[in-house]
Amino acid sequence: MTDSLGQQKPVNIKALLQACRNKEETFKTLVALSKTLPRLSVEEKTEENKIKGCESAVWLIMEENNGTRHFKADSDAKLMRGVLVAILSLVEGKTQTDIQQMDLKAELAELNLSSYLTSSRTNGVLAILDKINKA
Amino acid sequence: MAFDPLLLRPLFPILAQSAYDHPLTYLDNAATTQKPLPVLDAIQDYYRSFNANVHRGAHFLSDRATNRFEQARDTVANFINAPEQSHVIWTKGATEAINTVAFGLEHLLEKGDEILITSLEHHANLVPWQQLAFRTGARLRVLPLTSNGEWEPEFNRYFTDRTRIFAATQISNAIGVSTPLQTMLDHAKQQGAFTLVDGAQAVAHYPIDVQALDCDFYVFSGHKMYGPTGIGVLYGKNHALEVLLPYQTGGEMVRHVSYQATEFNVLPYRLEAGTPHIEGVIGLAAACDFLNSQDRLALLAWEQSLATHVYTRLHKEGGIEIYSPEKNTTLVSLSVPNIHILDLNAYLDSQGVAVRAGSHCAHPLMAQLGVAGTLRASFACYNTMEEANRFCDVLLEAIDLLNDE
Ligand SMILES: Cc1ncc(COP(=O)(O)O)c(C=O)c1O
Repeated sequence: MTDSLGQQKPVNIKALLQACRNKEETFKTLVALSKTLPRLSVEEKTEENKIKGCESAVWLIMEENNGTRHFKADSDAKLMRGVLVAILSLVEGKTQTDIQQMDLKAELAELNLSSYLTSSRTNGVLAILDKINKA
Repeated sequence: MAFDPLLLRPLFPILAQSAYDHPLTYLDNAATTQKPLPVLDAIQDYYRSFNANVHRGAHFLSDRATNRFEQARDTVANFINAPEQSHVIWTKGATEAINTVAFGLEHLLEKGDEILITSLEHHANLVPWQQLAFRTGARLRVLPLTSNGEWEPEFNRYFTDRTRIFAATQISNAIGVSTPLQTMLDHAKQQGAFTLVDGAQAVAHYPIDVQALDCDFYVFSGHKMYGPTGIGVLYGKNHALEVLLPYQTGGEMVRHVSYQATEFNVLPYRLEAGTPHIEGVIGLAAACDFLNSQDRLALLAWEQSLATHVYTRLHKEGGIEIYSPEKNTTLVSLSVPNIHILDLNAYLDSQGVAVRAGSHCAHPLMAQLGVAGTLRASFACYNTMEEANRFCDVLLEAIDLLNDE
């Protein structure tokens, strides 16, 4: 699980999260996943890359390469970094059209992450999804 | 004999549930308390047996509703030792009560007048004054209090002959400290300022005597003192309420209306436009009765002993920043260097422990403390020592899980 995300040897993030039987296991899995997210440099953490509406600070950077999209993200909260790993695993390397056709909220719910969509942290994650969709 | 919170638990059935297979440990009482059965029953009883609009119809139910509604005003007046029941104005909460005063006094303010608040205020006792200052050209000034709730004697220079309004919280919701209220009120009164006390965090814990405090206005919310949401109180001295221009107008608050003019009703109705939150008023009176039926000082001592116990345990651990005082408080507000409070909160939640992580509607105070937010465990009379310990245990587990090194 120490590889950088979604590359040669993808960790089966979906399976890991779906295997969680309760909130505590999801918490621990997200903490473990958070360690796989490469941190952004200070220079990358600009106001422009920062997502508004999150209780924790979240930065998201998107790059387009031959029509496919590649993402980098970071947060000052560990659990949020775990959630970012999960979100990016859904969209990394896809085209804009692919991404726009996805129902990201439903997919996160399938990963046992719906509580991150329904509490006050909600706006945070929804704002991230929004930015990914609009990018 | 020591107070036993277990005797109160049956009155709060909501607490007897589990959260994600763990016993629910509700420690977010400064945000809102749970409601005892007598409050729930009073609300049910209102709808089951005497629901009608108040002060209007002349029929059996409307008489009953009006009587009970006005009895409730009496109950609340006694609860805070107000001299007259007409000094108790129903609002939807502390926030609306403060806004009622901020709008009601606007006509008396001039450019260059000063509105003084403290550095420990909830946004509810800050933003309405700031906006009033913007509208009138008055100046908002902030009396700096330390996070120990202390002030420097030379700070009395903040009270000037331009101070028209002084508004201060009795207890900080974010860090649980009591302010030097009486001293501050004395200074404000010497300058002839209107004084307002935000009692939102005090009423559930301390017996309140507005005549002893001798403030012009005292505000609080029902939902933080075992009562329902959507109901709160603006208490005011007679002359202070009389000078307020009604912030809302409409039915109920009038005596006679023509197209040319309106004659307003007398207090308290003049400041209560529209059909009131009748069930809320009935429920709030039941919450007062509930508290009156308890040994309030014993409840307070118990709640404080829980907070002090948590403080002592966590202080011993080291590596935890605690912003609340060790004693004389009913909450513990903390942060852990290099661990995000939302991460701590998420683990506590996964174990069924409900606390609050955030800025507690007090951004300037967080800036003063040099943190983005804190994690706050706040106690009520039904919390047990076991729950206080559970909070500590789970927090320490969370720190272990989240620490990198
Ligand atoms: C000190 C203080 N003042 C005012 C308020 C506002 O109360 P409400 O939201 O019930 O109007 C609160 C609530 O959190 C508070 O803690």
